Amino acid sequence: MSFKDILNSGKFVVTAEVGPPKGTDIKEMIHHMEILKGKVDAVNVTDNQSAVMRICSMAVAKIAMEHGLEPIFQMTCRDRNRIGLQSDLLGASILGIKNVLCMTGDHVSAGDHKGAKPVYDVESVQLLKIVDGLNNGKDMSGNEMKGSTDFFQGAVVTPEANPIEPQLIKFEKKIRAGAKFFQTQAIYDIEKFKDFMKHARKFPVKILAGFVVLKSAGMANFLNNNVPGIRVPQSLIDELKAAGKEKALDTGMNITARHIKQLKEEKICDGVHIMAIGMEDKVPVIMEMAGLL
Amino acid sequence: MIITKKRDLKDLLENVKNYRNFFLIGCSECAALCGTGGEPELKSMKEALEAEGKSVTGTFVAKTGCQVLGTKVELKPFKEAMDKTDCIIVMSCGAGTQTAVELYEDKAVFSANDSLFLGNMTRLQIFDERCSLCGKCIIDQTGGICPITACPKGILNGPCGGCKDGYCEISPDIKCAWVRIYERMKKLDKLQEFCEVTIEAKDWSASQKPRALTARKEKKNEF
Repeated sequence: MSFKDILNSGKFVVTAEVGPPKGTDIKEMIHHMEILKGKVDAVNVTDNQSAVMRICSMAVAKIAMEHGLEPIFQMTCRDRNRIGLQSDLLGASILGIKNVLCMTGDHVSAGDHKGAKPVYDVESVQLLKIVDGLNNGKDMSGNEMKGSTDFFQGAVVTPEANPIEPQLIKFEKKIRAGAKFFQTQAIYDIEKFKDFMKHARKFPVKILAGFVVLKSAGMANFLNNNVPGIRVPQSLIDELKAAGKEKALDTGMNITARHIKQLKEEKICDGVHIMAIGMEDKVPVIMEMAGLL
Repeated sequence: MIITKKRDLKDLLENVKNYRNFFLIGCSECAALCGTGGEPELKSMKEALEAEGKSVTGTFVAKTGCQVLGTKVELKPFKEAMDKTDCIIVMSCGAGTQTAVELYEDKAVFSANDSLFLGNMTRLQIFDERCSLCGKCIIDQTGGICPITACPKGILNGPCGGCKDGYCEISPDIKCAWVRIYERMKKLDKLQEFCEVTIEAKDWSASQKPRALTARKEKKNEF
């Protein structure tokens, strides 16, 4: 079953991430894919994440398919103009890639090629419209194409953005532009996430809550201070502190599993997106702890 | 105005080391306000060149250095000094430099400044960029604030995930353009418009280089 069909079937879905490496040695990445195979419903393939140059997401999405995973092809607007984006979308389509996640993309100043010219010819909302057009047989200039795409397109949202109002307005624009599913920035406060979901449930879109496992109280503080849209509540930081250094990771995984379980049991959202960031081997463990395996 | 910044003097002196006689051209408009091409700056450039054993045959601050014909007329009295010169250093923006390139075919022309952006002076010699000269203004739809310029990603439909407490992911000194637009449209009672209108991808053909414009009516059309 495709990711789209699984989501529409009402099953609580789990997606994870595969980060293409820098360089052509893909042994570790393949190993991560093998860990996730048969466990998660789909994997996001990141697109030069944090503006750090790596293997392109399309090639890795294709390899993910060859390894039995359903890829969600992440596409940012940072590195390609509208011609490049559409051309790559058509390319992804003929390779059999079905899901695309449309994002504006981290700025080049965050990455390892700081002198690069950022493109941003279009942005996330407009990219969603482009995908919708290609699905309907027309390119962005309105030209008829010979054969259209059939993408299931999604986008991202930050439920704990501050201020929240403009973020929610953009969320609606993305829905109007054709987004069918959303993966969120990492969330740590389920009660606050419920408030967001109350709003999101007004729209016919699927929401996957984002998770980044906390490895320590220090990491939690770092996220709070440095990563936009992430807010780890003090109670969780205290819990990690109390666990001590040796047990901090276990505690972090416990917190994630506990939250995922609650989301599923209370039917708060449609699934979760686990961003393991190098700890892919922990994804099945967390899923088991959350009662998903 | 065009915001300029002095280039490193050492680099400039290295670039002009094979020349002997110099003429300096400044500009009384933007460059003077930026402190890069007024009388005091020309004076210190003259001193720096003389300290290197060079000769300065003349200095002149143009009224508006990007106005080619006006500058040509203003420079007429300096013909003798200019004849003795083998290198012109222009201390204004890139446009002023190009005026000298056009007027003096047989002289080497160097720019003493880097041209940075079209900006506003908010306090004495503090400048910021508000307009990107994109060729097709969209601020009617964005509460008067230009997201092409004020957002590092030029996003046209709301803040990205990099907005942290109202500030930009690329610098805590930059307020998120879309939070500013949101707040302003709220004050103008235009939030409805912000919510309902999706701004289409920009037509960049209006900024295709090199740009030129004939604003005057040709005489034959006037009668």
